[in-house]
Amino acid sequence: MTQTKHIEMRKVRKGFRFFTLEDLSLDLEPGQIMGLVGPNGAGKSTTIRLLTGLIAPDAGEVRVLGHLMPDNQAIAKRDIGFVSDEMRLFGHATLAWHMQFVASIYPGWDPQYAKTLVRRFNLHPEQNVSGLSSGEHVKAVLLLALARRPRLLILDEPTSGLDPVARHELLGEFMDVLRDEDRSILFSSHNTVDVERISDRITFIDRGRLIDSSDKEDFLERWRRIQLQLPAGAKLPDLPHVVSRVVDGQFVTLTTNRFSPDFLSFLGSGVREVQRMSLEEIFVANVMHHREARGL
Amino acid sequence: MNTLARKLIAKDFYLHRWLIIGSTVAGLIGLLIAAEGKIRFNIGMLIWLTTIVGFGVVLAMFAIANERKERTLQFVLSLPISHGDYVRIKVVGLMLCFLLAWAILSAGAVTLIAVMPNLPDGLLPFAVLLCGFLLANYSVVLCGALHTASEGMMTLVIVVTNMAITLFIFMVGALPSLNDHLQAPAPVWNSTFWNVLAVEIATLLVTLSLPYLVAARRRDFN
Repeated sequence: MTQTKHIEMRKVRKGFRFFTLEDLSLDLEPGQIMGLVGPNGAGKSTTIRLLTGLIAPDAGEVRVLGHLMPDNQAIAKRDIGFVSDEMRLFGHATLAWHMQFVASIYPGWDPQYAKTLVRRFNLHPEQNVSGLSSGEHVKAVLLLALARRPRLLILDEPTSGLDPVARHELLGEFMDVLRDEDRSILFSSHNTVDVERISDRITFIDRGRLIDSSDKEDFLERWRRIQLQLPAGAKLPDLPHVVSRVVDGQFVTLTTNRFSPDFLSFLGSGVREVQRMSLEEIFVANVMHHREARGL
Repeated sequence: MNTLARKLIAKDFYLHRWLIIGSTVAGLIGLLIAAEGKIRFNIGMLIWLTTIVGFGVVLAMFAIANERKERTLQFVLSLPISHGDYVRIKVVGLMLCFLLAWAILSAGAVTLIAVMPNLPDGLLPFAVLLCGFLLANYSVVLCGALHTASEGMMTLVIVVTNMAITLFIFMVGALPSLNDHLQAPAPVWNSTFWNVLAVEIATLLVTLSLPYLVAARRRDFN
């Protein structure tokens, strides 16, 4: 039997006055962590607001855990843990009150895990939320989402504003969630280091369009930067799958998104160096290539 | 109403408990001052009136506008409820929060007029209409807060509803069929009283229904 996809977006469109999310199709399978990466204003938050039922698509279909959004959001959200860096708790109530409140709503609330997280995040349940630092506040919101043991965690820039130690702790918690194969995470960020660390699937989005989506390993294997030295007077022919070419006299730097041994042998003896690319470099090269292709 | 809705209503009561208690106490202090005699009656009733009006405005602003502005709304909407549920829960929850203080303070004002020997019972119909007007007035503020995210619009709603109280006191209080009986030893429940009360009830029903018909049906929640 096929398992229900945790996220299914089909040809989704959502228009605003100065921005349109266009033709977005996206899938997330159970057990996966997907990093949704894009520059500021790319459409990451709009995508997440569509997924959490906060806004409705103008066209296309959004399904989360098999439920049509936003129509069936009340049912879908029983199994979704949503955290956004903009989300705030009630300042005049304590963390303990919030924990009790959320626990009373979600039957899956795990009090032992909640206690563990309180210790691990060094939070004080009797403290009023208004007295928490911004980092502690994000941890408190994450605690409330994680301890309910949701099948799907949707995280909108959850690590922004956190110090490196706190980020490290949180990313570890996200990995912990995935110990159960039926759970999954959609994780939006413009911090490619965090995304590279925990995601097994990555989607790049820019100016309202999905530009690439693939397994992390696939991205890292496909993308290479190749340094060539051409013989005097020689000219490099047009090559397929080259997204950028920088020529400096006899020296040429190529970036390809379809690297293979065949590609290398085609370039011949002029190859001086083949460099693996970081996710950040792949992301930037990908975005620039697509903007160029779209004439932006 | 399901369990989750009851919990969210209880949440509003818990978060605004000091506002409800504080406003009720302040209004009762106003009534105690009013009971001190004819001169202090006006001061006490002014405190009573200001407390009820202020309580309604602050409650709607804190529970709806601030929830949106301070982004606690995102937390509430991450819970398993729809937009429609949220609007319905807010209408019922915030109406009940207001009713708790309003009922105590209205009953106190009516009782005060009824038992104070130096105040004519002829004031009772006007007092009942004023209490009804304050309830309808709050429902307009609540309706406005649920429909607009604009601070400017909300300020306009508050200014208009506050002005409406002054207009109500001067215009309805000046209606001959009410004014002529204000100093009467016994209350006169004539047709003018029932007509004004009917308008107040109609306003209440319309403003409480509007969020169900408009705000609850919105597909986008910002």
